[in-house]
Amino acid sequence: MKKAFIIFKKEITDTLRDRRTIIMMIVIPLLVFPLIMNLVVRIGSSQKAKAEERILKVGLVTQGNAAQLKESFLERADMTINQEVDMENIEKLVQEKKFDFVIVLAADFDQRIKDNQSGQLDLYYKTSSENEIGKRRILKIINSYRKDLVDHRLSGLNLDSSFITPLNIADHDLSSLQEKFGEYAGGFLPYFFVIFCFMGAMYPAIDLAAGEKERATIETLLATPATRLQIVMGKFLVVTLAGIISAAISIFGLYVAVKQTDKIPAKILDVIQNIVEWQSIALLLSLLIPLCVFFAAVLLSLSIYARSFKEAQSIMTPMNLIVILPAAIGIMPGIKLDLTTAMIPILNVSLASREIIAGTIKLGLLLEVYASLFLLAGVSLYFCVRWFNREEVIFRGN
Amino acid sequence: MIVVDQVSKQFKLTGKQKREMGVSQNSHDAVSNVSFTCKPGRIFTLLGPNGAGKTTTLRMISTMLKPTSGSIRIAGFDTVEESQKVRGKIGFLTGATALYARLTPDEIIKYYAGLYGMDDAVFKERKEKLFDLLDINDFAGRRIGKLSAGMKQKVSIARTMIHDPEVVVFDEPTVGLDVITSRNIIKLIRSCREDGKTVIFSTHIMGEVSLLSDDLAIIHRGKLLYNDTYENFLAQKKTRSIEDEFIRLLGEE
Repeated sequence: MKKAFIIFKKEITDTLRDRRTIIMMIVIPLLVFPLIMNLVVRIGSSQKAKAEERILKVGLVTQGNAAQLKESFLERADMTINQEVDMENIEKLVQEKKFDFVIVLAADFDQRIKDNQSGQLDLYYKTSSENEIGKRRILKIINSYRKDLVDHRLSGLNLDSSFITPLNIADHDLSSLQEKFGEYAGGFLPYFFVIFCFMGAMYPAIDLAAGEKERATIETLLATPATRLQIVMGKFLVVTLAGIISAAISIFGLYVAVKQTDKIPAKILDVIQNIVEWQSIALLLSLLIPLCVFFAAVLLSLSIYARSFKEAQSIMTPMNLIVILPAAIGIMPGIKLDLTTAMIPILNVSLASREIIAGTIKLGLLLEVYASLFLLAGVSLYFCVRWFNREEVIFRGN
Repeated sequence: MIVVDQVSKQFKLTGKQKREMGVSQNSHDAVSNVSFTCKPGRIFTLLGPNGAGKTTTLRMISTMLKPTSGSIRIAGFDTVEESQKVRGKIGFLTGATALYARLTPDEIIKYYAGLYGMDDAVFKERKEKLFDLLDINDFAGRRIGKLSAGMKQKVSIARTMIHDPEVVVFDEPTVGLDVITSRNIIKLIRSCREDGKTVIFSTHIMGEVSLLSDDLAIIHRGKLLYNDTYENFLAQKKTRSIEDEFIRLLGEE
């Protein structure tokens, strides 16, 4: 196997000098998590702060009613209250954004409250993402006024507020934060790892077989005493390694992303740091290795079949979908790792990763995932070697 | 020594290829029943038009393709049964061959020496000799992608000869080269003869035939039309120029 190692060494050198590969294998996986995390946190928090600080334009028509409510609104510094509203054109004024909100109390409001009936309050607004938080602010004032009215009525009847809350619900969710996180984020993280595994292996695979055909270096390689098996093994190891490195770098990128943001709540940070512990990472990587072997063998087979770099790319691009689909199914709620799903490649990695992150992985199923992946990797590698031995594949098209 | 004994090669045709070639049979005879011998210290020229079966023949000699029938022995080894040993004896160069653009001449030569299983000391001595002879030292550490066509050609030559092969196979080695770089190849082929190596080279260029040939075979549509010494070819020719004689033998006029 010394010659396989010579080929491996040469291909590693060659691959690491290819800018395209470096970008796909190292730069993108390294940057993607920090960028996404930064972007989401930054945009999210700045949008929220904006919505909360925005001065709302509120039209208030009390028609002499609800003095206490009027006071509450007039006290607010974060709203401009206009009491001169053209009653005929309220809808138009809101449509044209002259007002964010218009509150209209019926003329008989106070009278009906006094008679223990319901007073009419109309709230006009347009739903939008920035108005969502504004509406919450308006409703908070109105609800506080309503509570006062209810308390007043109850005390008039000598009743406690518990009279109208006969049911007291206490929520005891016993799943740990890590389990919840595993359930949600646990699905999409492995999705990224799987994709990076594939993308990282793709360019070296194209370059090492189809690229060698296109540059017409393959003949001289085949004319050396190295056997086809040695050639395949040397190349295959490089492609596998590229996939693993790519995925590992994306995990490292995630770690960096988590470390550098200070906007993540401490509790969630704890959970993420739990995941980023070496045991979980080692387990995740141990799943990615057989997956990479499988990807590398399939990609290298397709690449040796292709006549040129371009043809290889056009064969592999649809493969992206085949990879993304099972990985995406793994994100969907309700799909669990069981005896059946543990056999389906890619999906099983996605689901098992989710359980590893949640800390609920069962050994039996994990072993089944390994068995399925190694079997598949072995079969695909066998075909890869066979294809390298076939004249019509190697010299296809000339 | 190369002994080609009644070798045929058939390629299976795909539906698309059948339509393109306008034929109905399922296979195409690229080479049929070809026999010839190339002797050490002599240059054997395989002359033929495009698509005659030259490349297929040379690929069978260098073990990349397996003959459908017949056998080839290189330095006493069978190309199918002992293909690894055969490859160790052969140096192979084609005009279309490129080199790894991201590696340096040093790295490429070392890579091939490794694949040929060369001993370190022997490799160093041999490399020094070739690099001096071909003037590669000045650019030995630069990436191939940054070299001129002439420099690349020299590296290709060093790559072909690094393991001091007994048999050297040249498949249209001057295709796409200018006069000066072609000259390097002609010189190389001659020096191989002087070193007592067995040389086979394919071409469709008449000038090269007269410059180099000791023995000549003419191949057309997979069949050998002529196989004798170049001397005899000249003596027996019935037309004025070798080009006319070539055309006459092909029966294309």
